[in-house]
Amino acid sequence: MKRWIDVGLAALGAAIIASAPGTALAQRKGGDVVIAIVQAPPSLDAQVTSAQVARNVTLHIYETLYARDEKAKPVPELAEGVKISEDGKTYVFPIRRGVKFHNGKDLDANDVVASLERYRKVGASAALLNAVDTIRATNSHEVTIALKETQSIFLDNLSSPRAPIAIYPAEEAAKPANQINYIGTGPFRFVEYKPDSHVKIARFDGYVPNPNATGRDGLAGKKEVFLDSVTFRFMPEAGARNAAFEAGEVQLLETADGPTAKRLESNKNTVIYKVLPFAFQVIKFNHAQPPTSDVTFRLAVQAALDMEEVMAISYPDIYQMDGAWLYPGAPFYTNEGVSKYNKADLEAGKALLAKSGYKGEKLTFIVDNLRANMDTATVVQQRLKDIGVNIELSVADWPTVSKAGFTPTGWHFWTHGYGIEPYEGPASVMAPWVNGTSQQKRDETIDRLYAALNSAMDERKARQLFVEFQAHMYDDAVALKAGNYGLFQIGTAKLKNFTPYRIPRMWGVWLEQ
Amino acid sequence: MVRFLAKRLAGAVVVLAIVSLLSFAIIWLVPGDPTAAFLDASATPEQAERLRRELGLDKPILLQMLEWYSRILRGDLGHSILLNRSVAAAILERLPITLSLAGVALVLAILAGVAAGLVAAVNHNRWLDQTVMTAALFGLSVPDFWLGIMLILLFSVKLGALPTGGFVPLDEDPVGWLRSIALPATTLAVIQVGFIARMTRASMLEVLNQDFMRTADAKGLTRLDVVLRHGLPNALVPILTVAGIVAGALLGGAVIIEQVFAIPGVGRLIIGGILSRDYPVIQGGLLFVAVIYLGVNLVVDVLYAAIDPRVRLQ
Repeated sequence: MKRWIDVGLAALGAAIIASAPGTALAQRKGGDVVIAIVQAPPSLDAQVTSAQVARNVTLHIYETLYARDEKAKPVPELAEGVKISEDGKTYVFPIRRGVKFHNGKDLDANDVVASLERYRKVGASAALLNAVDTIRATNSHEVTIALKETQSIFLDNLSSPRAPIAIYPAEEAAKPANQINYIGTGPFRFVEYKPDSHVKIARFDGYVPNPNATGRDGLAGKKEVFLDSVTFRFMPEAGARNAAFEAGEVQLLETADGPTAKRLESNKNTVIYKVLPFAFQVIKFNHAQPPTSDVTFRLAVQAALDMEEVMAISYPDIYQMDGAWLYPGAPFYTNEGVSKYNKADLEAGKALLAKSGYKGEKLTFIVDNLRANMDTATVVQQRLKDIGVNIELSVADWPTVSKAGFTPTGWHFWTHGYGIEPYEGPASVMAPWVNGTSQQKRDETIDRLYAALNSAMDERKARQLFVEFQAHMYDDAVALKAGNYGLFQIGTAKLKNFTPYRIPRMWGVWLEQ
Repeated sequence: MVRFLAKRLAGAVVVLAIVSLLSFAIIWLVPGDPTAAFLDASATPEQAERLRRELGLDKPILLQMLEWYSRILRGDLGHSILLNRSVAAAILERLPITLSLAGVALVLAILAGVAAGLVAAVNHNRWLDQTVMTAALFGLSVPDFWLGIMLILLFSVKLGALPTGGFVPLDEDPVGWLRSIALPATTLAVIQVGFIARMTRASMLEVLNQDFMRTADAKGLTRLDVVLRHGLPNALVPILTVAGIVAGALLGGAVIIEQVFAIPGVGRLIIGGILSRDYPVIQGGLLFVAVIYLGVNLVVDVLYAAIDPRVRLQ
């Protein structure tokens, strides 16, 4: 016997809730919105990059079989739904009929198979499909995926927006990484990419919206486009971005600093959006090297740090104090196991440090040159000085630091944000610590919990496993979560019905004259 | 003259050989690699390794070096990892933008710099001289990125007269081109105006004390005629050398200005290449800039030798 997961209904419910405000406003077709973004996307081949800046653009052009709704739950997008066999190893996806690619071709099962197979070869997060055994077109509009073993998070993986498993026409999916024509089924079609200048996308008039969706809903839902086109302008210099916005050349700043948001707050032609939470600030330890390999040392650091101080300095006006390793409102969100969060207890820190093997040697804190990360590192350095920990900061650019931080020597602390992982859910939050990837030494508890979560089809059991993981992160001070931070987005008041999300969604919004 | 040219060319070839080696050595000297631009913070080393293979970065370094030299000797600067196109094409596409920016800045700098220098020299030790020289010092000292932002605030945000950034090609819309280039070219020119003004003043002061200038005065020529027809041409030799240096400096300065004004020129290409570790772009870009510098210096050397025979006899 097979059972249907009627995710369509869930999507409908979420979509109604998400779309409620704003729909009564006078919608208007036309106009070009210019969005200032800080850098150029490394590629518009959505499958091969997990860069946030690429997602901002590509999730307007391409769609996936399943996508995340407003609360990040997987819901059908190009699939009508899914039929999962009782042993949890076979997934049958009926593909929506009548969906058109931007080149006019109809979407069918062969396009889906070719795209998924391509992702397994060149996808930036190809491990998302590691559990897949075979992918077959079982009829013109049905795809059957057989898994090697049960994987409870398979639909989460399939709908991951990180490096989206975008569905391309089969002939494009046959091409190597970065060699495709940018053709998808999304509500916008690709127009031009001027390197170092901008990407332009335009409304796809042949777009076939998901008939089961009624309103804007996360990265899924009804994608109704009113704008003629959207231009993503690459503007690395913050001052120039802000000036372009104030001069009316740009209608939306994808990110702005606190002082700019404050300055423009009183301007009636401007709307300030707070995207909070957008990410976690995490302080990582290198477990492969003493003294951070010593759990007592790590607990001493955990006890001593004042996370409110860290967040208030690093992200003034846009932070939340929260010890949970998921965003508030997420399905598995819980505060169980976080009692050791933000104790800010110097005496306890000193006592624990005395019990550890630390003898005052100089430790290295690697950090990239992003202002907030440097602030976090500096606050931690100064605070730990008070309990006798001697830290030296080593600042470099992101490519340098991200390479160094995945080696077992040369560093003790590293801080940066985790944004998309908590959005994706418990498995993605756990994944960076599996096999000792981020801490450079295997942690059997985490490996065991992750394997169990992967195969736990029962939601209650999965929830319990995540609670155990969260408690373990604090009990062993595997890494420290400082808090949630957000970002300011600034838009012109003429941009109507815009609601900030993980990407600046340009469907469902219009420009007032 | 032929010997002089041959010596200069041989020197240029040696410099190019050294630059080409240093350009290649970037792969070892700069930590990190291009995978960081494609992947986010929680990408595993395995994912990065897979991507390195996809991008062809896993080949032995000696093989990569052989490939590099065989390529550049054929005039092929390689293939950009991020742009997915040849580096030469990417540079050539952006070169007119950078050249027009640097060219307009050079014209502005020479016109304003020479004029300011002349005014200062003719009014030596008077208040006008002091004012011009103080302004020149200010121009030399002000950071160009700060000046750029200030000009944007004034002319774009407050007055709404000029665009804040971006570039309009000349053949598409000449007026739009002029508007898009006005602020960045002015910003770029300001430092060089100060430099050229000081050089012109010094050079003119030397010429103004020469006998032939007194003779010209004695002939009853107007002061303007004396300065422009007899003084300026004789003061031009050092100014020409300075103009060569300035041309190189403007190309270098364009790197920052292109960032501030979001102009898609060669500088921005190289900065983007460095930040994302797009090795072929960094290597090809460096080599290209070195060739431009050498070319400009060579032209200046030759012109200098042509004007002043003492140079080629040394």
